Amino acid sequence: MNWAPVAWVAGVAAVGWALFTSEQIIKPETRTDGRVVVTYWEKWSDFEFEAMRKVVEKYNNSQDKIFVKVLSVPNIAGKTLLATSGGIPPDLAGLYGPNVAQYAFNNAVMPLDEFANEAGMDRDDYIHQYYDICTYRGKLWALPTTPASTALHYNRDMLQAAGWDPNNPPKTIEELTELDKRIFKKDGSRITKMGFLPTEPGWWPWAWGPIFGGKLWNGVDKITMDDPKIVEGYTWMGSFAKQYGSGTVSSFQEGFGSFNSPQNPFMDNKLATVLQGVWMANFIEKQNPKLNWGASAFPYPANRPEMANSSLLDLDILVIPTGAKHPKEAFEFLKYLQTQEAMEMLCLGQKKHSPLANVSEGFLQNHPNPNIRLFQELAESKNTLATPKTPIWAQWGDEIRTATQSINNGSKTPEQALNDVQTKMQPLLDKVLRHERALGIEPRSEDMAE
Amino acid sequence: MAKKSLKHQNITSVAIVHIVLVLLSALFLIPLIWMISTSFKTEVQASAFPPVWIPDPVESINYKKAWEYGKEQLNGQAPMLIYLRNSIIIAILTVTGTVISNAIVAYSFARLKWPGRDLAFAITLATMMVPFPVIMVPLFGLFKDFGWVGTFRPLWIPAWFAGAFNIFLLRQFYRTIPFELSEAAKIDGCTEWGIFHQVILPLAKPALAVVALFSFMGTWNDFLGPLLYLQDQKAYTLAIGLQAFRSQAGGAPIHLQMAASTMMVAPIIILFFFTQKQFIQGIATSGLKG
Amino acid sequence: MSTSKLNSQTRAGLLFAAPWLIGFSVFLLFPLLKSFYNSFTEYTILTPPVWIGLENYTDLFKDELFWQSLGNSFYYALIAIPVGTVVAIGLALLLNQKVKGQAFYRTFFFLPSLVPVVPLAILWLWLFNGESGIINAVIEPIFHVKPNWLGDVKLAKNVLIVMSTWGVGNAMVIYLAGLQQVPQELYEAANLDGASPLRKTWKITLPLLSPVIMFNVVMSIIGSLQVFAQPFIMFPGGAPERTTYFFSVYIYDTAFRDNRMGYASAMGWVLFLIILVLTYVAIKYMDKKVHYETN
Repeated sequence: MNWAPVAWVAGVAAVGWALFTSEQIIKPETRTDGRVVVTYWEKWSDFEFEAMRKVVEKYNNSQDKIFVKVLSVPNIAGKTLLATSGGIPPDLAGLYGPNVAQYAFNNAVMPLDEFANEAGMDRDDYIHQYYDICTYRGKLWALPTTPASTALHYNRDMLQAAGWDPNNPPKTIEELTELDKRIFKKDGSRITKMGFLPTEPGWWPWAWGPIFGGKLWNGVDKITMDDPKIVEGYTWMGSFAKQYGSGTVSSFQEGFGSFNSPQNPFMDNKLATVLQGVWMANFIEKQNPKLNWGASAFPYPANRPEMANSSLLDLDILVIPTGAKHPKEAFEFLKYLQTQEAMEMLCLGQKKHSPLANVSEGFLQNHPNPNIRLFQELAESKNTLATPKTPIWAQWGDEIRTATQSINNGSKTPEQALNDVQTKMQPLLDKVLRHERALGIEPRSEDMAE
Repeated sequence: MAKKSLKHQNITSVAIVHIVLVLLSALFLIPLIWMISTSFKTEVQASAFPPVWIPDPVESINYKKAWEYGKEQLNGQAPMLIYLRNSIIIAILTVTGTVISNAIVAYSFARLKWPGRDLAFAITLATMMVPFPVIMVPLFGLFKDFGWVGTFRPLWIPAWFAGAFNIFLLRQFYRTIPFELSEAAKIDGCTEWGIFHQVILPLAKPALAVVALFSFMGTWNDFLGPLLYLQDQKAYTLAIGLQAFRSQAGGAPIHLQMAASTMMVAPIIILFFFTQKQFIQGIATSGLKG
Repeated sequence: MSTSKLNSQTRAGLLFAAPWLIGFSVFLLFPLLKSFYNSFTEYTILTPPVWIGLENYTDLFKDELFWQSLGNSFYYALIAIPVGTVVAIGLALLLNQKVKGQAFYRTFFFLPSLVPVVPLAILWLWLFNGESGIINAVIEPIFHVKPNWLGDVKLAKNVLIVMSTWGVGNAMVIYLAGLQQVPQELYEAANLDGASPLRKTWKITLPLLSPVIMFNVVMSIIGSLQVFAQPFIMFPGGAPERTTYFFSVYIYDTAFRDNRMGYASAMGWVLFLIILVLTYVAIKYMDKKVHYETN
């Protein structure tokens, strides 16, 4: 039998199928019921994502013009930027508050002032600090989804076992260091327990300076990484690796399970305390409900009582990327999300507090997070610490992260490492300001007003 | 006497060579064997230290789990199936285009005379020195302007326009075909296309098979391309999908990652066993100055 | 009559070459020229390019990360290429000994080079894992240490080199083919002269193999300076402390994470120029050493 014609037909059919399918796969979704589809990429997964999904579902069921399709997208910041650069952004993206200035500067997101004014939204509707995270150079670039504040989470049983009053967690940095000494345990050459480890989870490498009262910059045009208070903070941070040996400590860390698992070091009785955020209660309940834990304000340096009740301020935001196909419809959903009803539903679902100025009667009382009042108070305290609002933050934060690695590895002293960050980032800040001046934008303080 | 000692010398040296070969083979194969072995372990055994070599029990269910991992993201469809389908689609379109376009273009450089041909060929060779990062950004911008970002098109359409390496390879091959054959066909009244189609192509089958093979390997392996141009999870190839395996929600457990990896490696290994001769021959000729 | 024939061949020639001529212009030449232009601008794809002259290049010169990432890529190339070449040739020489089962051994050495880059990264991340990897499982009982391969600034870089050496099967096959082309008579003549195996290799095999070696080394230079996927997947951010931050990853991050397309274009051109210079130097140097078979 002559196979050649068969092979030809099969070949052409294969190519035809491949071509047809490849085009089908990438077609944007349309609906039969005539609703406009708003694509919404969100960073969350698992039960945090579920909380938003429920809100979206409620919204979709409450009207018939718009259908919001929400997707859980890993590595969302990079993906969204790539998609926006490629001309195919989603209509809504759930990104991170610290990057607002960068998005604004790079024209990556749409300003929302017009939409917001039309909808009658106002700064006073929110806890001011959270609203301010969404603005840059006088314009509104994003709106809040869930807020965060941080605190010291501690394992009551571990404290008690080490002879520490479980109802009296460390209040000062010195007390925390003391606690760690008591808890620290080794089995041969391997660490089995520590009281505190600054690099776990290591999500805020920039925080050690501000916690000690230092300022990363003057808010306008001068970076001040060499502030002695900042050096002090990083010296303390590096002291853990220094006294126990950086190799030993990093081996300890390599054995940690992933954050969202029962082998999370805090949930697994490997770390007695950890700096974590308001979402932690939710994760503990899911992964290790038997854990006997509490939360308190993160310690302050004993000689700086004015830094008491400090908390790192973080915010999840929603933006409408430049080039989005359905910005108006996207904002309709945003508007809905900012109502008290929807926002509280979302924040309750993630066991967080609300970014809105007004909360309903039972919100705090009936909140499933046992420490919600603490987090709410911390968010409103005068010592909230947020990341510098500048377009160079992504790189700056990355450099700080690398600096902490150098400090922990002992390859650089804190002064050296911080100095290197300073010399690298100041010229970049100067460049940004120069660029803005050329566009007629004058520099101004982007420090959070009270 | 001299002969005898030579033979003795030969036996020991042969023995040594054998031993060395066996040891080295073990060194090279152990990682692969480890990958397959881990893919059949339970999670506990997979991360055990000292390592467990033989899984007990043998959990072939890992493959099913890896196959379906993350299917909530894709409306219940098994992601590995989707990634596999997408990789195959791109492979079909790319390999077809590569073979066809390079067969044609190389013919021009090998058997047809035209002014500027040799200069053009030299430039073609020189393009092999152009690193991808230098054209990466404008190429991305170009595809954005075409509206091709987010589609498969940037991954396979350029393959239909030939490439320096394959042009070089096929040109070398074409030149080994005796010119008399073309001459004879021309005398018979064949057009250039006729000569190409009826005389040269049938003889070029082995070389084209090699081109097809390498092209397939290239697309199966491609990481940066899909990373840049495929935005939607349902368009991911195996390469990007596997990467997502690691970064999604804390990362899949290691035994599942190994199962998924094995699934991606297996087709290549199988393909290799069926096409060994072409493979080895192709690599050899591509590396030797013709 | 002959001119029309010439014209028709020219026409055919250009027609046959057309796909490449078009593709080359659109997908290679145009982006190359555009990136050259972009390297003198500040450009984010979302904003129009703004001319800033040589500023990108002067900034590069002052950019510590540029030097560090370039250094990392060079470190990798400078070690992986010689090591890989020696290993590949060594294996080829071994296989060329006419032993039984040559095809099997050849397969064993070759298979690793077929593994696609993502499973490769996943596999080696696990093998080198400080706590549970089998490499440390072998090292610990003997040396009583468990090196932190992936986290130690002195070790992490070398992980990539080991991976690259594992994949020399490709090059080995090329060298093997080259070895098999060496005429047997030369070896027999040397045997009559009583030459030792080492001398035979040095005086006959390597010189005859040298064109192949040169070609491979040149291709390796071009390739290894562009390595992207392994460091990108295995060492996010170039951890630890940027010791595994390769130049190609820096370019990618600058373009698609920091959105500084102009700066990234300048980087790309620097890479291109480096490759051109190195290739030129390599060819010139090796040309003198390469033995071309006469007669």
